[in-house]
Amino acid sequence: MHETDVQIGNSRLDEEKSNMKMFRALTILFAATVVSMGVSSLAVPCLAQDAKTGNVMSFADTKQVLGLEGLKHNVTGTLAVENASLVFTKGKKKVVVPAATIQEVMTGKDTERTIGGTVGTLTMFAPYGAGRFLSLFRTKIDTLSIEYLDPSGGVHGAIFTLPEGNALDAKKALLSQGAKTSVPVEVEAEAQAKPKEKKQ
Amino acid sequence: MKLIGYLSALLPLALVLHFTGSTALAQDKAQAKIQASSIQILMVQSDEVKLPVEFQLALYENLIEQVQKTNKFQHVYRDGDTAAANAADLVILHSNVYGFKKGSEGKRQVTTVAGATQIKVHCLFTEKAGKSELAQDVTGNVRFIGGNLRATFDFAKKVAQIVVTNFQ
Repeated sequence: MHETDVQIGNSRLDEEKSNMKMFRALTILFAATVVSMGVSSLAVPCLAQDAKTGNVMSFADTKQVLGLEGLKHNVTGTLAVENASLVFTKGKKKVVVPAATIQEVMTGKDTERTIGGTVGTLTMFAPYGAGRFLSLFRTKIDTLSIEYLDPSGGVHGAIFTLPEGNALDAKKALLSQGAKTSVPVEVEAEAQAKPKEKKQ
Repeated sequence: MKLIGYLSALLPLALVLHFTGSTALAQDKAQAKIQASSIQILMVQSDEVKLPVEFQLALYENLIEQVQKTNKFQHVYRDGDTAAANAADLVILHSNVYGFKKGSEGKRQVTTVAGATQIKVHCLFTEKAGKSELAQDVTGNVRFIGGNLRATFDFAKKVAQIVVTNFQ
């Protein structure tokens, strides 16, 4: 009788131990996920080389919101300024806009949900207002809007969003390659810096 | 029996009247529709309100995309397209923003009632010579799901609906 009691006691202990291990593993996994999310948002994916000499400047993780021919809306790819052109690459697809045809380049600032897309929308249906809570976490982004002409003179507009702090560099690079603008980079930089000063 | 006889005699007459009436109505509707084989969409203007450039471009691009999707025109020309000058049967769409309220996506998602974005646009379809064909005010909204630029998509969808109902 005593032997069987001891055996039962041992199996319970093993079960508890395995439960604890599982709990620890889940905790570590959760912590790793949170850390990776934080690190990915901190990483600046700009691969800029030199704006003054006019060499290649590329901006990874750029979202083409709309406007480029042959691409769907909200496609994420790489925006590059090279060989006097704006080049947007998404996988095998490549859209080239000659910088000389760009009539206007404007930058701005905005925010977007940290967890966006379909997953972000689905979180709205999560219980206890979890979706609303998650929508409080927002990532700052830059917007870059260009207006360009096609060979027959038709006006096109395209909008991109870039990780924070890259839009002005992209604008500088485009202007150095022959694009035009009505608002100089310095003026836009000042205008964007003003709200920050007010907060301080 | 007599009553049934009268009714059975009236039934074919009623049917004939119904069908002739409906076809006449349809013909009237068809006559009221504007005939044009091509359209030129001009860049959206905002003389009265200060509109961010990304909204202006999104309004214009969505408008072109949605009007193309209606398949009502053989050609949809952009603003400045030189080929539009030679197009016969051309209508020109002028859009002028007269009201703009930029909301907040964050507020919309947290509160579900506040933070709506609204764009009010006066749309005018004219002939090549400038004679007005159709004028209508259209409002683009985003109230719950989506970024602020979704209001421009809503506006473009509404204009496309106007095109479908008013053009042959």
